[in-house]
Amino acid sequence: MIRIHPFIKIAGLATLLLILGVSIHPVKAAPTSQVPTAQKALINPDDSACLACHQNPNFNITIGIQQKETLSLFVDPSKFQHSVHGEIGISCIGCHEGFKPEAGHGMVYGSHRELTLRMNTICANCHQKQSDQEKDSVHAAARAAGKLEAAICTDCHTAHEVQRLKDPKTGQLFPTTRIWIPLTCQKCHSTIYEKYRNSVHGIALTDGNNPDVPTCIDCHGVHIIEDPTTAKFRLDSPMLCAKCHTNPAIMDKYGISTQVLNTYVADFHGTTVTIFEKLSPDSVTNKPVCYDCHGVHDITNVNDPQKGLTIKQNLLKKCQRCHPNANTNFPDAWLSHYIPSPQKYPIVYYINLFYTFFIPGILLPMAVLVLMDFGRAMVNKFTKPHSKKKIFYHTSDGEDHHE
Amino acid sequence: MNKLPKMPRLARRDRKRPVVQPQPEYKRFDLLQRSEHILFLLSFTLLALTGLPQKFPLSPISDWIFGMLGGVETARAIHHLSAIAMIIMSTVHILEVPYRLIVFRTPITMIPWLDDVRHVWDDILYYLGFRKHKAYYGRYSYAEKMEYLSLIWGTVVMAITGFMMWNPITTLKFLPGEAIPAAKAAHGGEALLAVLAIIIWHFYHVHIKMFNKSMFTGYMSREEMHHEHPAELAAIDEGKKVAPKIPLKTLTLRRLMYLPFAGVTLAAAGFALFYLVDYENTAINYAPPGETAKVFAPLPTQTPLPTQAVPTPAALTWTSFVGPLLQQKCTVCHGVNGVAGLNLTTYSDAMKGATTGPVIVSNDAANSLLYQIQSAGGHPGQLQANELEFIKQWIDAGAPEN
Repeated sequence: MIRIHPFIKIAGLATLLLILGVSIHPVKAAPTSQVPTAQKALINPDDSACLACHQNPNFNITIGIQQKETLSLFVDPSKFQHSVHGEIGISCIGCHEGFKPEAGHGMVYGSHRELTLRMNTICANCHQKQSDQEKDSVHAAARAAGKLEAAICTDCHTAHEVQRLKDPKTGQLFPTTRIWIPLTCQKCHSTIYEKYRNSVHGIALTDGNNPDVPTCIDCHGVHIIEDPTTAKFRLDSPMLCAKCHTNPAIMDKYGISTQVLNTYVADFHGTTVTIFEKLSPDSVTNKPVCYDCHGVHDITNVNDPQKGLTIKQNLLKKCQRCHPNANTNFPDAWLSHYIPSPQKYPIVYYINLFYTFFIPGILLPMAVLVLMDFGRAMVNKFTKPHSKKKIFYHTSDGEDHHE
Repeated sequence: MNKLPKMPRLARRDRKRPVVQPQPEYKRFDLLQRSEHILFLLSFTLLALTGLPQKFPLSPISDWIFGMLGGVETARAIHHLSAIAMIIMSTVHILEVPYRLIVFRTPITMIPWLDDVRHVWDDILYYLGFRKHKAYYGRYSYAEKMEYLSLIWGTVVMAITGFMMWNPITTLKFLPGEAIPAAKAAHGGEALLAVLAIIIWHFYHVHIKMFNKSMFTGYMSREEMHHEHPAELAAIDEGKKVAPKIPLKTLTLRRLMYLPFAGVTLAAAGFALFYLVDYENTAINYAPPGETAKVFAPLPTQTPLPTQAVPTPAALTWTSFVGPLLQQKCTVCHGVNGVAGLNLTTYSDAMKGATTGPVIVSNDAANSLLYQIQSAGGHPGQLQANELEFIKQWIDAGAPEN
């Protein structure tokens, strides 16, 4: 039997531990959202080897099972340098991990989309939060359902020309970013974009870069884009509109009432929707929410002669979708977000006014009489403890107190 | 309180009013009146319980009630059913009161009169210590009369405004649109008034001040009568409350007089109820479509590829066209010491070919390996179709250098 020297034993164990330690050590640095410490290591000023091939604008390959898909391998170095990643000096292999220095770089894919989808996971190395949010989005759900065309990071942000969207000082979106947003969504949602573009919000954004109007993300969110066709989204939607439409700082400029939510909640439809939203947020209701009357993406000014809801005939058409027998009087049953006043809906105003006085007018005398009766009973109880009994005996004798 | 023996069953006509009896209990309400009270009490409670949360939908109490009832739709259904129950009850009362008045000539004791104003005044004096005892109430005190009148007023307002909200399309055939929110305002105001009045007035007088069970038992003790209705008790004791005997002939005649009224009322009530229950189909079960536009409609230029069309070269020679093209597309791999020994940087090297042999066969593009590989596609540094076509023409033209 060979005796192993203790030193060799220790050295062997140490080597084993070292190997083990290295192999279980995470390959990727712990993901940080914005702090570029993790990326520092990725910065390699020498991208020239990559660009030797990839700066060629005609560097294309045909891929796919039938070799019918043309894939451009061109990367415009100047554009990359002006991207947010180029500016902080991230090199090609900073993102293109697992790169192999051979033709095709060891990449295996059946289609361009498959390649993009596979590479998309790289973004999460640094942008974990956004990636996690996106996993709960309607796009992720669509991809899981086999609709691989649903947007991934690079579809909106591009791969090599990623732009800085927020002002790092204020954390707010740049004004130009807001204009880009609908144009970005348009790439896949062109018909919806057309509706938005011609809506009261879309016109103000596109033609005037108005900072008050919503872009796509103000309603749909960023990354965690919710499915807008669910019952829950429908029930939540009035609060979505209310975010801006109850804010006097935004609405006063345009003379738009901030009472739109209150008045909606106070009426039949809004009450039901509010109760549903609170108690059974997933139940389906056909009670109208804001967008059923005002439009989903094609929201028009209420004074628009074609579609505006201040034109009674336009409103009646909306009513008749659920109330087919409604006549021309019917739209007036809805107070059009007005709080009744002597000028607007005076009958309702005066009925409310009547009850403002009638209710206390009846109840106060009642309460006064009740309190006096109670007070007197208490006084009697504590000052003349036996008086009640006396009357009782009196009565039992049959003596009549009637005058 | 002791349970005292009830009065013996009286002749039908005598059941309607208290009669002086040696027994210490005095009849206040007959079975019909007590039944009406219970039905009214139940429907009123249900209406309030399901109605007020609709008036105050943002209150957490409303949440709790809706949660208990299984949602606002159920609450509305209960509200409607209770309303029907209350209307049936009211119809019974509308039939009952004239019967008592026409057939039995029962004195009207529920309508407030000047005496009641005096009673209120006397009571105030008593509360303030200027009188030794309360006013002497008759068969019904002003508290009871007030409540009865409020109930009639309230029921009428609630029934009319409730009908309007329940059947807005029918209502708006006759009234302007504003009538519906107006009805809602009145319905809500009246509801609040009714519920608060019940709590302040009714609860105090019949539950807190003393628990008046006569509405359930039908009877009051002499002691209670003395406290609550002393004038009535005195009148009974003096024998003033004995109903005169009505001959059967007179009764029959009066009943015949009553009959048309009953017929008309019943017909009207039946007609109203029949329509009220499910008269109008206010809304259809329309599902709002939301966004109707096609959701996924990508722009045709979604992923533009840099496919610059190669213009027709001035001269199809190595120097002017083929050399620069291959330099751009191929020499990354096939340069000096290129892959497979192929060097496409110069004309002579290109014509020399790869280690396996030439790749360009002059005048025979079809047999040139360069053309074969590029035609097959999928080669890194793939030439575009028209570029390849020019290469073919160049080879077939003898692959001239200049």
